[in-house]
Amino acid sequence: MITLTINEKEVTLDKPVSVLEAARQAGIKIPTLCYHEALKPFGGCRLCVVEVERMPKLQTACTLMSADGMIVKTESEVISRVRRGILEFLLINHPLDCPYCDKAGECELQDLVNKYGPTVGRYKEEKRKVPESHKDHIFARNMERCVVCTRCVRMCNDVQGASAISMMGRGNHTRMEPFSADSFNCEYCGNCLTVCPVGAILSRLYIHSFRPWQVDSEVKTICSYCGVGCSLVAQVRDDSIKRVIPEMGLGVNKGLLCSRGRFGYEFINSRERLKTPLIRKKGRLEESTWSEALNLVAEKLSEIKKTEGGSAIAGIASPRCSNEDNYIFQKFMRMACGSNNIDSVSRTGFAAAQKYFEELMGQGITANIIEGLKNSEVIFVVGGDPTSVNPILGLSIREASRRGAKIVVLGNAKGLERFKNVQVIPPVFKEADALEELLAGVSGARGVRGEKPDIDRGISALSGKYSGKSDIGGLEELKNALLDSPSTAIVFGMDLVQRADGHRAIFAVAGLTYLLEARLYLLSEKPNEQGLIDAGCVPDMLPGARPLNIHDFKTKFETAWGGAIPDKNGMTLLEIIEGAKNRDIKALYIMGENPVFNLPDGPFVKEALGSLDFLVVQDIFTTETAEFADVVLPALGWSEKAGTYTNLERRIQLQKKAVNALSGMEDWKIITEVSCKMGYKMAYSEAEDIMDEIAEVSPLYRDLSYREIGKGNCLWPYHGEPLRGEIHELPAMAESSSGNYGADFYLALEKPLFHSGTLSRRSPALMKICPEPTLKISSAAAEKLRLQEGDRVQVSTSVGSVEVAVSIDESIKDNKVLLSNNFEGKGVFSLLTYKLDPVTKAPGIEGCEVRIEKL
Amino acid sequence: MEKFLLKNIENPDSADINEYVKAGGYKNLSKVLESGPKEVVEEVKKSGLRGRGGAGFPTAMKWSFAMADPKFPKYLMCNADEGEPGTFKDRPILEKNPHLLIEGMVISGYALGSEYGYIYLRGEYPEANDILNAAIRQAYEKNYLGDNINGKGVRFHLSVHQGAGAYICGEETALIESIEGKKGQPRNKPPFPVNVGAWSMPTIVNNVETLSNLPYIIEIGGEAYSRIGSSECPGPKLFSVSGHVERPGVYELPMGISLKDIIYNHAGGIKDNAKLKAVIPGGISTPVLPPDSIDCAMDFVSMPKAGSMLGSGAVIVMDDSVCMVRVAYRALKFFEHESCGKCVPCREGTDWLRKVLERIEYGKGTEGDIELLSDIAEIMSGKTFCPLGDGAAGVVTAMIKHFRDEFEEHIKNRKCSLADSY
Amino acid sequence: MFNETVLKEIEEIKAKYPERRSALLPSLYIAQREFGWLSHEAMECVSKALNVPEAMVRGTASFYSMYKHKPVGRHVIQLCTNISCMILGAEKLVDFIGTRYEVQPGGTSPDNRFSLVIMECIGACGTAPAMLVNTDFHENLSEKRIEEILDKYK
Ligand SMILES: Cc1cc2nc3c(=O)[nH]c(=O)nc-3n(C[C@H](O)[C@H](O)[C@H](O)COP(=O)(O)O)c2cc1C
Ligand code: SF4
Ligand code: FES
Repeated sequence: MITLTINEKEVTLDKPVSVLEAARQAGIKIPTLCYHEALKPFGGCRLCVVEVERMPKLQTACTLMSADGMIVKTESEVISRVRRGILEFLLINHPLDCPYCDKAGECELQDLVNKYGPTVGRYKEEKRKVPESHKDHIFARNMERCVVCTRCVRMCNDVQGASAISMMGRGNHTRMEPFSADSFNCEYCGNCLTVCPVGAILSRLYIHSFRPWQVDSEVKTICSYCGVGCSLVAQVRDDSIKRVIPEMGLGVNKGLLCSRGRFGYEFINSRERLKTPLIRKKGRLEESTWSEALNLVAEKLSEIKKTEGGSAIAGIASPRCSNEDNYIFQKFMRMACGSNNIDSVSRTGFAAAQKYFEELMGQGITANIIEGLKNSEVIFVVGGDPTSVNPILGLSIREASRRGAKIVVLGNAKGLERFKNVQVIPPVFKEADALEELLAGVSGARGVRGEKPDIDRGISALSGKYSGKSDIGGLEELKNALLDSPSTAIVFGMDLVQRADGHRAIFAVAGLTYLLEARLYLLSEKPNEQGLIDAGCVPDMLPGARPLNIHDFKTKFETAWGGAIPDKNGMTLLEIIEGAKNRDIKALYIMGENPVFNLPDGPFVKEALGSLDFLVVQDIFTTETAEFADVVLPALGWSEKAGTYTNLERRIQLQKKAVNALSGMEDWKIITEVSCKMGYKMAYSEAEDIMDEIAEVSPLYRDLSYREIGKGNCLWPYHGEPLRGEIHELPAMAESSSGNYGADFYLALEKPLFHSGTLSRRSPALMKICPEPTLKISSAAAEKLRLQEGDRVQVSTSVGSVEVAVSIDESIKDNKVLLSNNFEGKGVFSLLTYKLDPVTKAPGIEGCEVRIEKL
Repeated sequence: MEKFLLKNIENPDSADINEYVKAGGYKNLSKVLESGPKEVVEEVKKSGLRGRGGAGFPTAMKWSFAMADPKFPKYLMCNADEGEPGTFKDRPILEKNPHLLIEGMVISGYALGSEYGYIYLRGEYPEANDILNAAIRQAYEKNYLGDNINGKGVRFHLSVHQGAGAYICGEETALIESIEGKKGQPRNKPPFPVNVGAWSMPTIVNNVETLSNLPYIIEIGGEAYSRIGSSECPGPKLFSVSGHVERPGVYELPMGISLKDIIYNHAGGIKDNAKLKAVIPGGISTPVLPPDSIDCAMDFVSMPKAGSMLGSGAVIVMDDSVCMVRVAYRALKFFEHESCGKCVPCREGTDWLRKVLERIEYGKGTEGDIELLSDIAEIMSGKTFCPLGDGAAGVVTAMIKHFRDEFEEHIKNRKCSLADSY
Repeated sequence: MFNETVLKEIEEIKAKYPERRSALLPSLYIAQREFGWLSHEAMECVSKALNVPEAMVRGTASFYSMYKHKPVGRHVIQLCTNISCMILGAEKLVDFIGTRYEVQPGGTSPDNRFSLVIMECIGACGTAPAMLVNTDFHENLSEKRIEEILDKYK
């Protein structure tokens, strides 16, 4: 316990903090400029000077640690004089262009000068001249306004870990610059914007468009891009979002954001938004009224249900839609259409993996707090780059590394290049073998744990398969790192789920989690992949992830919903697509999803959808899939509606309405209307009513309410009852991957930082940062193919070909070439074929040989 | 006085290890390796040695802090940044007597339990770089450096780290940042380098001259050493004398010698019998003294009483052809150029001071400018992050204090009457 | 990218320090030697060789005044004008060099023979005025001495 006196007020601290923080705790504000709560103290601006008894010189409160018995004065004649002097110094080279500067109104310098500053300056010489730079697409850089607090650089180096900018030069010539001096070429997190106290770095998205005091409302909501679910504040004026900013200390992200969250909001104002329902007439989609469209949907679905049975109808739900939307969707499919054929594109990754992990290890195995990553001693990253799929989670890994944690990586992870300690690159597409070998090694050293006999048995079976001496470089070191660690986290990305033997990788990771008592984190690209499973949008589980084939659960829901739920488990996503092709499925209802683009073997998916009798697509844009629809229904998007989302750590959060949409209806609302017309009554006046129902019928969500969720700490296991692992028998495991991968290059999916799904391509800012797809190749590949950065190539596989530019990526260390699936007409999925994993039913996209020709 | 630090430097081969050994070199190291590390510390304590880098901090005390820290490894940094204008005292050691420094460092490393030493050498001394590297190579060959020094199982490795033109890197925490491959910007203290220094480990930074005193202390014993020169800061001291004197150069003299004695006896008096106008006694960061104040003892304790500081013992002598406004302006140009930019008062203050001094010197000064200068200096003084900014403010304050009339004259006459001399 | 020999040299330097970033200043000297000055490419090479982010390499390099941040002539004159040199006439020597060799402070002569850099103290105050030409010290300068000396640098 430390007790000190600040301005005659006694302050007691339970842990030693700086005098500045002690004062803040006591409600005493000391002016600062270079200090920022997210950063380490710097001590450069000297504004925080205070008088301390028995210390002859003034002290900077931000760097001075409190000590017992200290007597501090934060305001005095002397102190004011110094502060006035310092501010006068800061203004000598400052352009004083406040009337023109976008920061005015939220400028820390302006506020300080108002409070402490001199009324007139005595500086007569010419000011430093540095032209404002607009050479970057996103950041405007005005180094005349810079006060050299270095907050941006410290943020970029010490927190974001991008190290893309630097203070250049020295003394009074110091200025912030990116390496190129022009464009930033960085991760575009924009966290430097958050910390810049003046108008030295501004976002060009809103520059000169409004003043900070001219906002009509500030809505605290969450981001719609990925499974982290960052908190952010949407600033609204004239019913449109002017700017998205984070709030320090708030939410999972604690004041940080990534490029998508911060700059990707403009899609909502896109001119390409769907405005009215469309109906296919004589082969063409034509505008219609809501009632015409809804009637048609209800009629058609009823008819097919009657003639072909409910099992001829299928639905694809959406990880971009809320829990409420998805809950209503599956209820509609099961009760109104009489079908369990419900799945989502999450089947290609998260849903497949998450479900299998829970079957093996019990419900909640993936519910681990992201912040906890920072305190791990070893973080094992496998199956993808966390810093691009879930950037804010990635930052926790970088922070852990700075705190001394060991980062061990299996595969490629570009954003961790400078942070990793051990990296293992398994032979191409043999990741599952490497993981099994690792598991066998760990169990060799640790023995069985004896808590889960099935898993123990599975692990023992593996042990016979591997000799114990590895040919894979670094695997031994990786194993030892894991064995030595008192606290391990495993971060599992979805790349290895997209294998025909993906279940082997999942089992191995589950086994490692089990033996090492590790915490498991699954990367989740879309915002509600977890919520969608929990809402029941899977063919074999009811809400709360209650297995459909357990009689008690089924009857409970039947009672609650007033009707019969079909007995048989439904089809999984790719079975639905194949079913459409085989004409087992006649009608498909797609909510907020774009399978034509987002599933492998695009040509096949198109053919399948073309074979349907009836296709409904509900979306906010006319997507590639909508082109095949019989009816297209305009929905509402992020910020236009309220709803809850469940992030990858299973935190439930409220996404709020911030603006009024010009057209469209909530997804759940459209569905309830169709449902009513089909004779199954559903009536809710708002999303909150749906959550109330979920809380009542789903044991997982018992007693949850918007009020509680709104507090931001709605964490697993809520008040509910998690299920123990229910697996009785391990599914037969595939043998070691038999594929003989001897080709020069294989095509694989890239998950880029600046894009996500097909939403980001409607965000002008993200398109400016990354305007077109590139084929990422290793430098060895570049050499072999005699290609240089930017060369255009034709990329062809057995199913298609596209033309793109190449970019050389030093982090690729095997013979894969990567292409993303985000750009119109150039998605990698249009080039890949797949084989279904027999256990998870995820599409395996490995082993796709590719031809690359220079144009 | 018998020379020790500059012993034998007239010998053209003085930098060669054989010459050094011939003259009795490395025998103090051998002696120490017999008696043990504790004895060294004991002798240093008795000697009363104070750091020669400028601040005059008691060396034994600095060492004891580092030794009390249980963390290993510990690093020994030799500060050979010698950046203080007017200072060239370390250069003869580095170029002519490098083995003295190496011997001093090995002895210190042995005493401190440090096995790694680095010499942070300023980039402006390319010759010293070559000489030091050659000397280090020789010392390795002769087993005075390495894993088994003198066959005693003692380990000490030494290398040269070349700076690249930044005065602030002479400040010990900036020096550490620079060795770590960063900009040389001072670190916040505490923690002090003796606890958290280079690569977060305990680090001792000592000046070239300080470390070069070690063999001497061992040779004659701490007791005897403490009787040389001033009682509070004993030992021999190197003074670099430049400017308008007959015999500029580096002088090894007992600490506490009078400034006047240095100028008039050792350096041969004012050049061409001109009139003395001012003396900067310890490098340009120390306040200027008028002629009537130079009868003072040159040591760390007495100089502040005389209104200045010993600093690096760099005496710059100026005759009456020199314009003091010009000197102040040139000094501030230096400080402005060398300010690291971390803290506001130094970064902006040096710039502003320089600009005001410039306009006064060029006849554009106005009424009130002297008060403005004083005011800027006062805001800076005591509020900067490190002593560089403080020093800059002190220079201006002292100039105005002693030569105010010259400033006034410039403003009144709208010109510098001595401008032609430049 | 640096050639094998240079990379080996950098590896040896790295081995002298507990952390690779410490090799930054020496590696920048090497890059400067290889490229003539610290071009973008030179700094990229250093960044790759040390696995230190490019912006950090550039930021650090820019702090130090002895790195060449733009191309220079065949010989670099580094003339001190700090006080001890100034009071013994160094500033007049700047003008002299300027007219005689057509090179202004911070610039390079049209024939690319000399670049002139004004230095803060180079530790030759006892033999002021002084300058370094490339890595050679020249002291007790006068206009005549300068001519004699510089004429040797072609
Ligand atoms: C701005 C500044 C510049 C300094 N320059 C030097 C220098 O060039 N050489 C040096 O030995 N000490 C210099 N010092 C002093 C060092 O910080 C440090 O006190 C010294 O290296 C300690 O060694 P000593 O105890 O042997 O004196 C400087 C200090 C400051 C504040
Ligand atoms: S006083 Fe401030 S700006 Fe000046 S050198 Fe020291 S830390 Fe840097
Ligand atoms: S806030 Fe303390 S020095 Fe800037």
